[in-house]
Amino acid sequence: MNDIETLKAIKGGEFLIKETSAEHVFIPEEWDEEQLMIAETCDNFLAQHVKPNLTRIDNQEPGLMPHLMDEAGALGLLGISVPELYGGFGKDFKTSMLVAERLGAGNSFSVAFSAHSGIGTLPILYYGNEAQKQKYIPKLASGEWKGAYCLTEPSSGSDANSGKARARLSDDGKYYLITGQKMWITNAGFADVFTVFAKIDNDDNLSAFIVEKDFEGLTLNSEEHKMGIKGSSTRQVFFNDCKVPVENLLSDRQNGFKIAVNILNIGRMKLGGGTVGACKEVITLAVRYANEREQFGRAISKYGAIRHKLAQQAILTYASEAAVYRASQNMEEATEMLVASGMDESKAKLKGIEQFAIEAAIIKVHCSETLDYVVDEGVQIYGGMGYSAEAPMDRAYRDSRINRIFEGTNEINRMLTVDMMLKRALKGELDLMGPAQKVAGELMSIPDFSLTNEESLFSTEKKYLANFKKAILMVAGGAVQKLMAQLGKEQEVLMNLADMLIELYVSESLQLRVEKLVGLRGEESCKEQLDIMRVYINEAAEKIAKSGREALNYFAEGDEKRMMLMGLKRYTKTDDFNSIQARRNIAAKLITENKYCF
Amino acid sequence: MSVIVLVEHNGRAINKKNLEAVQYASVIAQKTGATVTAVILGTVGAREMESLGQYGAQKVLHVDDARLNDLHTRVYACALLAAVQKENSKLIIALNDISGRAVAPRVAVKLKAGLVGGALSYPDLDKGFVIKKSVFSGKAFAYVNITSEIKVILLTPNTFPLNKIEGKAAIEKLNVIFEEKDFGIKVKEVNKVTGEVPLADAGIVVSGGRGMKGPENWGLIEDLAKEFGAATACSRPVADAHWRPHHEHVGQTGGTIRPDLYVAVGISGAIQHLAGVNGSKTIVVINTDPEAPFFKAANYGVVGDAREVLPRLTAAVKKFNQHK
Amino acid sequence: MKILVCISQVPDTSTKVVLKDNGSAINSQGTTYIINPYDEWYALVRAIELKESGIANEIHLVTVGKADTEPVIRKALALGGDQAVRIDAESNDPYLTAVYIADFAKGVGYDLILCGKESIDYNNGIVGAMVAELLDMDYIGFAADIQIEKSVAVVNREIEGGEETDTCNLPLVISCQKGVAEARIPNMRGIMAARTRPLNVIAPSPISPVTEILSYELPPAKAGVKLISPENMDELVALLHSEAKVI
Repeated sequence: MNDIETLKAIKGGEFLIKETSAEHVFIPEEWDEEQLMIAETCDNFLAQHVKPNLTRIDNQEPGLMPHLMDEAGALGLLGISVPELYGGFGKDFKTSMLVAERLGAGNSFSVAFSAHSGIGTLPILYYGNEAQKQKYIPKLASGEWKGAYCLTEPSSGSDANSGKARARLSDDGKYYLITGQKMWITNAGFADVFTVFAKIDNDDNLSAFIVEKDFEGLTLNSEEHKMGIKGSSTRQVFFNDCKVPVENLLSDRQNGFKIAVNILNIGRMKLGGGTVGACKEVITLAVRYANEREQFGRAISKYGAIRHKLAQQAILTYASEAAVYRASQNMEEATEMLVASGMDESKAKLKGIEQFAIEAAIIKVHCSETLDYVVDEGVQIYGGMGYSAEAPMDRAYRDSRINRIFEGTNEINRMLTVDMMLKRALKGELDLMGPAQKVAGELMSIPDFSLTNEESLFSTEKKYLANFKKAILMVAGGAVQKLMAQLGKEQEVLMNLADMLIELYVSESLQLRVEKLVGLRGEESCKEQLDIMRVYINEAAEKIAKSGREALNYFAEGDEKRMMLMGLKRYTKTDDFNSIQARRNIAAKLITENKYCF
Repeated sequence: MSVIVLVEHNGRAINKKNLEAVQYASVIAQKTGATVTAVILGTVGAREMESLGQYGAQKVLHVDDARLNDLHTRVYACALLAAVQKENSKLIIALNDISGRAVAPRVAVKLKAGLVGGALSYPDLDKGFVIKKSVFSGKAFAYVNITSEIKVILLTPNTFPLNKIEGKAAIEKLNVIFEEKDFGIKVKEVNKVTGEVPLADAGIVVSGGRGMKGPENWGLIEDLAKEFGAATACSRPVADAHWRPHHEHVGQTGGTIRPDLYVAVGISGAIQHLAGVNGSKTIVVINTDPEAPFFKAANYGVVGDAREVLPRLTAAVKKFNQHK
Repeated sequence: MKILVCISQVPDTSTKVVLKDNGSAINSQGTTYIINPYDEWYALVRAIELKESGIANEIHLVTVGKADTEPVIRKALALGGDQAVRIDAESNDPYLTAVYIADFAKGVGYDLILCGKESIDYNNGIVGAMVAELLDMDYIGFAADIQIEKSVAVVNREIEGGEETDTCNLPLVISCQKGVAEARIPNMRGIMAARTRPLNVIAPSPISPVTEILSYELPPAKAGVKLISPENMDELVALLHSEAKVI
């Protein structure tokens, strides 16, 4: 663990303007023995209890999902990060991310698990008073009680604060009476405790309440018929003057939205971890199938078209994973620093994670889209069998899709990424102005063609990354200058900027991961990882160029546009690179190992 | 000098694998200019004992104590030790089966003798005393040298074919004094699976997996087994689902078998299952899935539905048996 | 009652065997190691059950291995086990292994010694019987069920073509197979406790091995499968008779 004094960790969002040293990132290749044992317990749990029962789970066999939650609880998996004081194991954030990742390969179970241990438990853990925590947390940590979270309504999804659910004080002042309708509530069919958001009287903002299933006035609708995660209980929850004791108001009145936003940051990270776990599982299935299925006298894994897909699946997954654990470590260190400075642990955790909310949003988008790619090509590799309900790809494909929708749609998360960056810049927390002006100045001058001072294994990619940052600063700077307050309404431009930021963050995380890995194992043992890095970053350059061009062509004009387009070209230029061969190398390793092996 | 071989019986007869042990001892004895002394514990007929001469035993040391009709490993070890000491033997042969693996190691310890279990070859005397055995659950072989003066080998059944010769073994009684403490294990109950061919030593085994779809379809397997004179076995998921009794489970964590012929029906061929059967001489795989990994480990394969293939195969075997 | 469970480290079941140095050794690069399944799922879990039901009060683990076996030992401690001893030696000679274990056990005095029926790497299955002889104890192998009533073990074991129920006074050595217990997943409590449970390292007794592995060999590559049409079972039978010569 890094000494807090010498911590050179950069702040949230600073990846755009500062460099990170590889020795300061955490990479999954560094799990310690205990963490690996915990991961193995998760794998064994899925192998024994979940995977043999996927069809029964999807059929929503009565009592099966809560039973699986009980089994997970018996193993201690539901209370990983709950403090020991409340019956949990007090493990750090990275370890809870590892658990989210490993259990992420559990299809519908993963959703039930993360809804329970994330949104179902954390609002009470982080915002509850002592009495509330004592009453609810131990039972949630053990799984004796199952948790759910009621925010979304039929007419308020992305616009969460527009919810119509209302709460009013009863005549005797002892209860809040909640009336409203909540929709898409995971675990509703068996949850014992719900965190419910509603506005008290004429408040502008939501408040949060802890509601037990047996409180008078709470009813459920029947199960929703969904495209995927069919085994996850999803219902509408109706509140008709539901009697909630006043002691069950969670945190301050009107603090609900803030609770929701903070918990969402964590949820986005866990989604990132979970989707990475699902990716690895799908890739392993795809490789195995490709190695066994023969056509034209050979295993299809021998064909280039298939190899391309396998390699690309692995590249995106490895990159997503790099981002997930880099950010997790940053959040953990930020939390530790705040605790060391005297802040209360719960508050420090929320603030530490909030510090990297931009990264969390990026991760949510990138990882969910990576999984969608992986399952889509997974179906393709399986061919006809990919379309069959008897094979695993159909379920994987349908189950994946929700990840781009919940925890904030990917569109919302993209816009938040840019929005948060710009807001922090405005507040003076993030110095974008200085660096952007520097880039603008550079555009006017003659490009520097001198060779880089030191040629290391990573100097090419580091140069690209530095250039990507300039590209983004240039386009973002230009957009802000040109569109000013209107920028918030130009969603397409925001999306373009977000895509550039996402590619930068993931590329850099990947480069740092491979650099640290080479430092640990030597170049010889990391050949495929180096290829992964190179393919990804080369592709990222083109994506950044494309997004930048689209934005510039919209808001820039005349000479300024010409100059910025030239600058964009300069800052996304890459040397010739043989991606086909690199992907073949990566695929060859997957095929030999017969599983995801990076 | 005599090679000692522990020979077991069921009171009435001496089965094939025990005859193989005698023959194995005899081949080694011939190479080293030694004789073969079989050791028989408990009550069995003279004719059976004499017949060991047909597999190369010159002498039988008979510990004619009725208490030894059941396996008491400490007692057996004492008796075997007495025989070894009487003959001043330097080589002891037993079988790599349940009793051999319980008795021989005790004797080996008493004599500080090196023991190689699961032998698949005769000892290579050029390289020392090197015996080939299977390791990593059948994924490889190891060549093991015994360096001690006295040596113990546990032979894998069904490794070498039996060849009967002319001969009659001389029976000699061996009296051994046993201590009461040696009879510490008391037998409470015995449940023999009667009327069927025991799996461990069966020459032919017909085995079913999840592809059979359900226990109600096992009649097809049993019919084929009956026609082959075979034992029946199953894969782990089938045993776990209680479609078949657990003693039929062959695989990594079930039984290991080495039949001449293993017929696998509706078994995909996961590595854990292969570990239990990869010593089979011939493997026939019947499966509807042409991609099933088991085909890669098979000698013969039939891509088809068990419900059609098995009755046809049973009929074909029946026809073959009738014309034999 | 004190139980000793013998744990050995073996390569994971899906490991491909790769030889090196001209076949004189196994290439262990990239190999994942696990607890021998028979030791873990049956011997160790049964010991844990006996402790949970109050019959046993202490479970000790013993492994013969070098420092690289410690992660696997700690996994066993995570499952259950009050303390572990690692006898600092490498051995593929069963007699050597048995002497190391017995010499250690002699110093402590155990009522019950459990091990798996065999290890999946060398498939010998004789260390248990040897340990019993060295400690002058009885041995029951291939147990499929173990009950302890007062200080008597009631063991259901596999025999030729069936099963037998034996009773024997403790102390006793038993090797375990399927049926003795159900495999367990280490829970969080156990994983965190594993860190704090003692893992002591002791020197092996000074004796020489009586066997040595000179070399290894991979099985010959299997010739491709001969596919026979389901319509043609007579042909299969004919091949089994004339070509394979198995009927």
